[in-house]
Amino acid sequence: MRSLMTIALKALGVGMIKTADDGGEAIEILRLMSTDPMKAGVMSIDIILSNWQMSPVDGLMLLRWVRRHKESPDRFIPFLMVTGYADREKVMEARELGITEILAKPFSVQNVADRLIQVIERPRQFVHTSSYFGPDRRRQEMPYSGEERRKLTEEDEGVEVVYD
Amino acid sequence: MTKAAAGNKKRVQVRYYKLRNRLKEKAGGGGGARGTIAADALEAAEAEFEKMAEDYPDWVQTHINELYTFHRRCVDTPEDRTKLFKRVNEVAHDMRGQGGTFGYPLISHFGDSLYEASRVETVLDSHVEILKAHVDAMNAVIKGRVNGDGGEVGIELRKTLETAIEKYSTAE
Repeated sequence: MRSLMTIALKALGVGMIKTADDGGEAIEILRLMSTDPMKAGVMSIDIILSNWQMSPVDGLMLLRWVRRHKESPDRFIPFLMVTGYADREKVMEARELGITEILAKPFSVQNVADRLIQVIERPRQFVHTSSYFGPDRRRQEMPYSGEERRKLTEEDEGVEVVYD
Repeated sequence: MTKAAAGNKKRVQVRYYKLRNRLKEKAGGGGGARGTIAADALEAAEAEFEKMAEDYPDWVQTHINELYTFHRRCVDTPEDRTKLFKRVNEVAHDMRGQGGTFGYPLISHFGDSLYEASRVETVLDSHVEILKAHVDAMNAVIKGRVNGDGGEVGIELRKTLETAIEKYSTAE
């Protein structure tokens, strides 16, 4: 999968691609990037594309580390999970941990391009609550028809809006 | 710069981060029907994939040969089975992800089935036979260039594998 994705990304014009054997190696690279970027072989990372099923550290564990660990170099980094899992429960699990996009296998070049465009062109604001940190799970352009669970608006006192 | 910073009377319950789109700036601003990915880059990538698809049967045959080797070694050196099945699981994982991309969903199907079948703590003789049945099915797909769902041949191959799995699953 990794070699396939690398070929697709290069062909789509992505300049530098750093690969890792599993989530553990990816975490080491990210950690090293903060302390010794020369040794890590990378100065900054714009997007993470990760397989879900890896061993011993899988994509979900990597996602959790990126979003929550104090040593994570960028907790806001777009995270695209590539997976053969199609069941709703699994997708929801990744969503609750702050995934940016999911790319289902088998994928085509067009699928990869579509997800990249989504990440680049339509980034979502990040939300931080006591139980969640990650991209806004409600996509702005989509009407929401479920029960309204958001009790606060941006104007309320308990809400802080941070710009950069 | 925060809205709440001026008069923070109440504890913050929700924080929204509205970040600058640096990725878009880096990608060159974009626009157009294809967003930030130029149409010619997409076409070039698709052409690359098509070229790989032509080579896929030869490429996947090396995985199949590798699995046959693992099977033989499982038979010859039972003490190495746990280690070998870990390798089988890794190869199966790769195969299930790639087959569909290159027009061989049956390889993905059998790869997925083998991936699940090779996640065992203790490798019994029956598991080794189930491994062999999977590799035979995948070999038949590639030798016969059975792409797509394979029609009647595809149904037959699926049935044969399912029968083998059932037979060996109840054997021990």
